[in-house]
Amino acid sequence: MIEVKNVVKTFDGFAALNDATISVPTGAVYGLVGPNGAGKSTIIRHLTGIFRQDSGTVRLGGEDVWENAALKAKIAAIPDDWYYFNSAGIGDMMRFYKGFYPNFSTERYEKLREVFELDEKRPIRRFSKGMQKQAAFWLALSAMPDYLILDEPVDGLDPVMRRQVWSLMMGDVAERGTTVLVSSHNLRELEDVCDHVGIMDHGHVLLERSLAQLQDNMVKLQVVFPDGMEDVPAELPVLHASKLGRVHTLIMRMNAQEATERLMAYSPLLVDAIPLTLEEIFIYELGGADYAVKDIVL
Amino acid sequence: MRSKTSCFNGTLFRKNLSRYWPLWGLASFGGAMFPLAMLLELLHNGFRFWSPLETRQAYYTVLSYGVPVISIVYAILCAMAVWSYLYNARSVGMMHTLPIRREGLFVTNVLSGLTMMAIPYAVTGVLLVLVTMLFGGFEPMGVLVTVLGVMGESLFFFGLATFCAFIVGNVFMLPALYGLLNFIAVLTDFMVNLLAQGFCFGLNSSYSGTVEWLSPVVYLVQKISPNSTYETQWVTDRLGGQRYETSVLTSVTLENGWLIAAYAAAGAALLGLAWLLYRRRRSESAGDVVAVGWMKPVFRYGCAVYAAILGGRLLYALLWESFQNGQYFALLPMILCMIAGGAVGYYAASMLLAKTPRVFKTTWKGMLAVALGCAALCGAMKYDLFGVTRRIPAPDSVKLVNVYAAGSNYYLTPGKDDVLIEKVRTLHQTIIDDKDYIQKEAPGYGYYSDGYTASVEESAEDSGAQSTITHVRITYMLNSGLKVERGYRLYLTPDRMAREGTYDYLLDQLINSPEMRQKRIRWRDEGFQMTEAWFETWSGGGTLGSREAGLLLDAVAKDAENGDWGVYNWFLADNDADNYDLRIQFEYKLPESQFNRIHDTIRINVKEGMTETIRALKDLKLITDADLVTNRERYPWQYAQGGWDQYDQFYKQFHMSPEEYYERYSEYPAGWFGTESDELPTETENAPAVDDSHSPSMSAGAEAAGLGIIGGADGPTVMVTTVA
Repeated sequence: MIEVKNVVKTFDGFAALNDATISVPTGAVYGLVGPNGAGKSTIIRHLTGIFRQDSGTVRLGGEDVWENAALKAKIAAIPDDWYYFNSAGIGDMMRFYKGFYPNFSTERYEKLREVFELDEKRPIRRFSKGMQKQAAFWLALSAMPDYLILDEPVDGLDPVMRRQVWSLMMGDVAERGTTVLVSSHNLRELEDVCDHVGIMDHGHVLLERSLAQLQDNMVKLQVVFPDGMEDVPAELPVLHASKLGRVHTLIMRMNAQEATERLMAYSPLLVDAIPLTLEEIFIYELGGADYAVKDIVL
Repeated sequence: MRSKTSCFNGTLFRKNLSRYWPLWGLASFGGAMFPLAMLLELLHNGFRFWSPLETRQAYYTVLSYGVPVISIVYAILCAMAVWSYLYNARSVGMMHTLPIRREGLFVTNVLSGLTMMAIPYAVTGVLLVLVTMLFGGFEPMGVLVTVLGVMGESLFFFGLATFCAFIVGNVFMLPALYGLLNFIAVLTDFMVNLLAQGFCFGLNSSYSGTVEWLSPVVYLVQKISPNSTYETQWVTDRLGGQRYETSVLTSVTLENGWLIAAYAAAGAALLGLAWLLYRRRRSESAGDVVAVGWMKPVFRYGCAVYAAILGGRLLYALLWESFQNGQYFALLPMILCMIAGGAVGYYAASMLLAKTPRVFKTTWKGMLAVALGCAALCGAMKYDLFGVTRRIPAPDSVKLVNVYAAGSNYYLTPGKDDVLIEKVRTLHQTIIDDKDYIQKEAPGYGYYSDGYTASVEESAEDSGAQSTITHVRITYMLNSGLKVERGYRLYLTPDRMAREGTYDYLLDQLINSPEMRQKRIRWRDEGFQMTEAWFETWSGGGTLGSREAGLLLDAVAKDAENGDWGVYNWFLADNDADNYDLRIQFEYKLPESQFNRIHDTIRINVKEGMTETIRALKDLKLITDADLVTNRERYPWQYAQGGWDQYDQFYKQFHMSPEEYYERYSEYPAGWFGTESDELPTETENAPAVDDSHSPSMSAGAEAAGLGIIGGADGPTVMVTTVA
């Protein structure tokens, strides 16, 4: 289990994390989403022991991460800007990681060679961005981690390799109970793999729920009101409304059944509840936090 | 399962060494060139047996002068290599994600750095030992001391570099801070003196060396040296079996070698401090100029202070110095110049810290403090608020007094030289009391050289009077380890020198007293150990054995006692007409190395009338009567009016300089330089061809005779008649 509680982190007076709290159950795949500068990478750097929080706690499996070498041996992290030694090839980096991670599996490394068809002797710096990401996954998965902390992990990978990588990670989750925390802007992809989601903004976690709970908490409805009723009734708790012809599209923060029941009071000609995508949830949740697509005319 | 969470990680250690092999490989290659060069030289010059002591002397010389300079550069390169990960967000992220505690990273990287430092020294050392063994000069004690010394200095410099590495957050700042810390004491000393001497009467040294120990490389090179003792011995030639007298190296020790141990301990302490900084270091400081919060104001105001002093002085020299009246700074212009310089330093530092040039609105209060500080500092010095100008240490606070006057150094010790020290203090107080007079008469722009003798305007009352300007420096070494050093340019006149109570009189009485004359040559002065002595004549010279040196020193002391040597004439300081081209030099080891030097050399110019010294030199068969030619006799054109014109005429006529002629014939041609005009040179086979058109004529002879009458003058002719 990953637990971040009331963490505050400031950089020269700027609060990058402001009372941030997340909780990731063991064996879960947790998607951490949020706008640029929300504090996702900062929280990840706390989870991997790079940053030390000003206050609050950062724990994995009930242990503090900071300066906990035994715990860090169970964590593999792939940052957005993965570092490798300048002249090192994958083989060099493998030997380096093997010297640090006691669970590093050479056997698995050998097996993964078939998946990641990369030249091990070629300097990593000469690889493309996607190939460097593959190399990072190859080494991270070979370390046999209990916790996988990923920041924009599949950015740069081609679709086939993305699927391949997710497949490998899901396999680890299923077989070894690996806990995965992934930060990404690719919400469609997260929707396919995550079972828990946390949304961050301004250094604070706005909400975190299981994906099912999240989708149950907000609903999109297409409504056609009877003749003579042009506008959406003001008393309805609508987060967002749009209209195309006579069809109103409403986003409401409640489950589909409750929303339908409330709309039925206006005798609509049509009511249809549609589940929201993660992207829509993200947009409308953050719309309430003054972050929405602005209609700017240039 | 093997533990991978200890304080040392072999993988990282190996990675460091393999990653940075070009650094230590190149250094090893460079180091290996020295023994190779030595080997080739020995082979080229023929097989020669080295004595083990010579080998030790060579080791200690390298340890004293080479190792500190090499280590200071190489240590920062090694530190930059192993700590480079701290300065990049990506690399610091990766290293701090690894399952190893910071002490593990620290210890492993320190050991990697020290190993990288040790490898080239080890390669060079092993090869050197092999070469010396090959030539029979293996000396285990020298090797051991050298190895320990190299390790100690490496530890210190690497420790200092590591300490700097944890203060900065930017790889370019690391060598900058390291260089600054290595020389900051010298730089600060220099700058404080630079400013103070423009305000305070008597403060005129550009460098005091008080805190030189804080500039390690300077201090190490200055203080540590091989101390070699030679003795005159009869030795037998290995090949020919002949016996001859020679100076033989009898012992070599490392002077102040303990300092290396002290610096090594300081290096270990700096590593400890670095570790404490690492524990608290924020990874996010990668890329910052200064990574430690409390160092930021130090950096900001430190830059301001240094820029204020250095930049202020520079601006003052450019903009105001030509308008300055006298030797000392004008207060207001200097304050303005310092504020301008300080502003540059302050805002530059602020911009570096903030990583933006937009700092003016947020930092104006600090700038105001800098401006007030500049004004306060200048005001305090100008009006001597701290009593620096008036300070004369109490006798019981002094452990050694050094007086430099009349071109010689005198060392006075409380308890033994109390009367002389009190005379020095009285002289010092009188000089301070006469401050206004001195500043008026000897404003001092460096225009007058030391001992410059100038004629003053003659008047009825003061006919033929002279004056001179001399430099006197008084240094008090205090029991606290600090020192008070003052230097004065003093205007001297014979009138004042004859008048009791003036500083002129006191100075003359002090320096020309019999006690001070003996002090001048360290005769029977306890604590001064004569380390070497040698003599030089116009035809050569040589090193003196300890017996010869002792006899000669006694002879000079007798001449001093008899008044035949050592009475300094302030107004004819440059008159060396009566000197022979014959010098004896005694090198002493100072009793306490408190004056930034260990050795002191006394030079005795032997002159006409030093009967005891001349007798001793003859008895020792070091000279013959042929050496007893005064400068006036040997270089007459230098002491005669129009002498240089004669010199040129001589050259034209004889196609050689008078020196060459004299060297060849031991006399000058008749009619030249005061010789009798009827003793015309006789042509011999060896004599140079004489150009008839330029042969000495009667008129030339008359001129020479005339010169002969005047001959003996030294310098400006107006002084001639006044010479006693």
